[in-house]
Amino acid sequence: MASKDEPVKTEIKRKRTIRKETTSVTAVGDSKRIKSDVSVKESKSSLFYAEEEEVDNRDPLNDLATFRKTSEEIRTAMADIKKLKEKKGKDCSEEIEEKKINALLQFVVLKKLNRLAHVRCKKVRDATSEAKQRIDQYHLQLQNLLYETMHLEKEITRCLEFKSKDEEIELVSIDKFYQEAPEEISRQEVTQSDSHQRTLARLDWELEQRKRLDMKLKEAKDNKEKLEQEIKTKQEYLENLQPKLNTILQSTKPVQEYLGMPFDQIREQHQTACHLPHPLYVLYMQSSAYKQACDKHLEVRIEGDLQAAKSIKSSVTEIDDDSDSDQEEQDKPSSKRRRKTSDSRVSDRKARALQRHPLAVVMEISCRDGGCLYLKFHYQMSLEIITVETKFQPGPDNVTSSISGGDLLSAESVLNDIYPGDHGNTTPNPANQYELRRLGLRDFAHYIPELGRPFLWAQWLGGLQFLDHDSPLKAQSSISSAHMQQTVKLLRRRIRSRTSLLQQLAALERGSVQVSRDYLPLFPAKIVARLVSWKRSTYEDFSVLPHTRPAITAGLAGESDLYFTAVIERCSAKMTVQVVLTANYPEVVPWFVVNVHWQTDRTALNDCHIQAMEEEVNLHYQELMKEKSHDQILSNQMQRLMMCFDIYLETEAQNMESEGPMEISKEKVFTRVTRGPNRTKPYMFCPEVGIFTHR
Amino acid sequence: MKEQDRSLAARKQYHTSVFAQCFSPCGKFLAAANNHGYIAIFSLTTALSPDGTEALWKPVYSYKASEDGSIFCLASSDIFLISGGNGPICAWKWTDILNKSPKVIWSWGIPKKGPFYQTEVNTIVIDKQETQCRLYAGCGDNNVYVWDLETGEQLVSLSGHDNYIHSVSLKNKGQMCATASEDGTVKIWDMRHPSAAEHTLEPYKNQICARPEFGKWLGCVAMETGDDWLVCGGGPKMSLWHLRSLEATTVFDTPAVCQKTVMFYEDTIISAGSEPYVNHWYINGDQKSRIPCTPTNVFSVVVNTALNSHKVLCTAGNSPKIDVCTNFGYKAFSLTFS
Repeated sequence: MASKDEPVKTEIKRKRTIRKETTSVTAVGDSKRIKSDVSVKESKSSLFYAEEEEVDNRDPLNDLATFRKTSEEIRTAMADIKKLKEKKGKDCSEEIEEKKINALLQFVVLKKLNRLAHVRCKKVRDATSEAKQRIDQYHLQLQNLLYETMHLEKEITRCLEFKSKDEEIELVSIDKFYQEAPEEISRQEVTQSDSHQRTLARLDWELEQRKRLDMKLKEAKDNKEKLEQEIKTKQEYLENLQPKLNTILQSTKPVQEYLGMPFDQIREQHQTACHLPHPLYVLYMQSSAYKQACDKHLEVRIEGDLQAAKSIKSSVTEIDDDSDSDQEEQDKPSSKRRRKTSDSRVSDRKARALQRHPLAVVMEISCRDGGCLYLKFHYQMSLEIITVETKFQPGPDNVTSSISGGDLLSAESVLNDIYPGDHGNTTPNPANQYELRRLGLRDFAHYIPELGRPFLWAQWLGGLQFLDHDSPLKAQSSISSAHMQQTVKLLRRRIRSRTSLLQQLAALERGSVQVSRDYLPLFPAKIVARLVSWKRSTYEDFSVLPHTRPAITAGLAGESDLYFTAVIERCSAKMTVQVVLTANYPEVVPWFVVNVHWQTDRTALNDCHIQAMEEEVNLHYQELMKEKSHDQILSNQMQRLMMCFDIYLETEAQNMESEGPMEISKEKVFTRVTRGPNRTKPYMFCPEVGIFTHR
Repeated sequence: MKEQDRSLAARKQYHTSVFAQCFSPCGKFLAAANNHGYIAIFSLTTALSPDGTEALWKPVYSYKASEDGSIFCLASSDIFLISGGNGPICAWKWTDILNKSPKVIWSWGIPKKGPFYQTEVNTIVIDKQETQCRLYAGCGDNNVYVWDLETGEQLVSLSGHDNYIHSVSLKNKGQMCATASEDGTVKIWDMRHPSAAEHTLEPYKNQICARPEFGKWLGCVAMETGDDWLVCGGGPKMSLWHLRSLEATTVFDTPAVCQKTVMFYEDTIISAGSEPYVNHWYINGDQKSRIPCTPTNVFSVVVNTALNSHKVLCTAGNSPKIDVCTNFGYKAFSLTFS
């Protein structure tokens, strides 16, 4: 393109130059008029160099017109000159000359216009730069203002974020404040509208209240001191009383003998108690005190050989020394004793390590239904622990014959887990392990049938408390009294729950689920599913089932638990239920694992409705308990499970669009079959209206 | 021996199902909701850190979001986390939740159908367009309600199903809506004429996918945004439908398993249901992979697309554990809802 353009351009240039020449020639004719025009203009501007002002006065559009006209005149002059020149022969050089001059004069005009244009241009440039400067200035100002606003905004947010210390103070609520605070503090008319004033007033009120409370505290402290002083004086008085009472007792002895009053027996028991080892003494003292104060159905007495106890008391120091060292010198003081062979000495020491105090405390806890629990507390002298022998005497109404739960009341298991984790299988005194090992004896558990069980609560009742590491073995009655009531209550409750459990188990074995009258409204009148069998199972049998694994890994079933297997049937559907009971049933509610066999095998692993059914009994058991009575929970859970099984089968049968008569007919009333993303079944029974809904 | 804790709390933990999950708008947090009405927030950033241990796979925060029991669905807009289930639909601000002081910003109750008919919200979907942001809620009273999220005004309700709604899916800038219901049908609605459904698909009547032994219900539906494909599953086998011809073209075979969640992801279909596996399929029906997961019943599978560095697939179901797959090929670790 460029190469093509270039020749064109040059051609145009050439044309222009030619035209210029011609116009300059032709313009001469008109130049006179222009000249006069210019001269008029020049005469108007008195100063030659006042063109700058002149620029202001002249209209640039006029100038443009003048320029066009002038150039047109030059052009015509040129054309005229050309025409004249072409006219041959005739001499018109004069005319040409005149036109030339005219045209040249027109050039002067052009020059003038050019100059004016330059001046104008300069002026505009100046104006522009001035305007620019002004804009810069304004811009700077704007920046300053923006910065200022930003700063102010920052200040504002900082102010808004300001955390006053009073925010940490917990104040009484506004309503309460207006209720309680006196008028001079609350000043309702001011503070109602002004939240700042209100906060101040509330703070005032808080301060006032705190001052008041502080005063009260001081008063209470003073009072306490006063009372302490009083107690001290009274105590002193009581201490002084003791010798006096002794003399009175001495002097009343003949009278007592004469009247044959039972003080004697009690005193005798109490005197025997003096020969008890310290922990058993604490136990005896505390339990008889408890008996007198709170529990008439508790019997406490001391059994055993008093003479032996007396002789032991005198030789206690010797035993202690003996167990400390191995030196044979110890034999010397007892001159009567034959020198023994080392073998017999070891066996003697072993026997002594397991020796228990000849006296024992017997506690009889009788229950309302006639059952009675015998507890015999022994003190292991060298092991320094208390062991318990248990026996349960059932009352006339108690059911004791149950195939699946026959061992529930046996001496070995009845008191397991009275406090969580207390099985009475290991010695609570950590020092014992080392001692037994040193003497070459076996683990303590081995001797339990012989010695009885060292339950932790038995130690507590005897005022013994073993920490995780070795600790001073000083029996404290405070420990005993702190645990007495709770333990006796727990023992009673255990007996009650076990007898009730046995009763339920016996009923379940017969295939009936007993629901007591209180709980009947929780279930529909008719449950079609039947309990077919109820058997004792074992942890091994339980753990081999694949669908029990999650419960075992979650720690909800363990080796020490009791296991039962129930089979529930309806038509061809069969539900196998694994029930996990812990020793401290019903504190820990039984856990159920369900497996339904109906056409296919269904468990929680492959059917979420089975899982939901388990959830109904495992998780929502609180609906099945009323207030304190948890004893019926197993039967209630079984009943609910059977109810859920009915629902499961009925809804499942409805869901399947099978043809022909349905095996399971719909007996229950429910508004919806499925609900929610997991299509749960209406397992929840509304007793008020007798229909089933979703949880 | 393991410490035996049989308290109510331990039992609750055992019987925990996670019904819904959703990611925060920033993609750094995962919200999950369970059957006890709790919402837990997990921090993906800490869970994905290279020295991840069990302690980091626990919620950074959890709170009781529903007094009425289960929460079935969650959705997240730019500002809000919205939950539905038993009880009303509630919205919380993400910022409040992350500051550990969640407040219900607004809540919408679903009209009650009767004294013994508790209407639940099974699914919520947010449809964000330039002009309007809408909230679709598939409910237990057989209707889908549509609200304007800005004004809180109920715009329209889609009614026509004979049983409750399981799942809702949208495409074409919210102009087209597909709903899957317990009644066994997928209804396709033109949102410009929402008075009646435009088409109805009935997979349970279709020979190639019907399974009468599992019922006719449909638990999930999803539409491909670009092409004309719709996938749905439940009692019948999961099947792919061509939207223009309304024909089932492909059947994804899962013997004895009902699919409860399905989604299109890139050029594959991800689905899961009543088995401890997550299935990845090609459009032609071939199985790409089958990834084992912890829950035996999967309710929710989500993919975090908001943040590329945290692109994970999370699987939740009838277990307190939420499986996290970082490369979709195997389970990396499990978050624990506690």
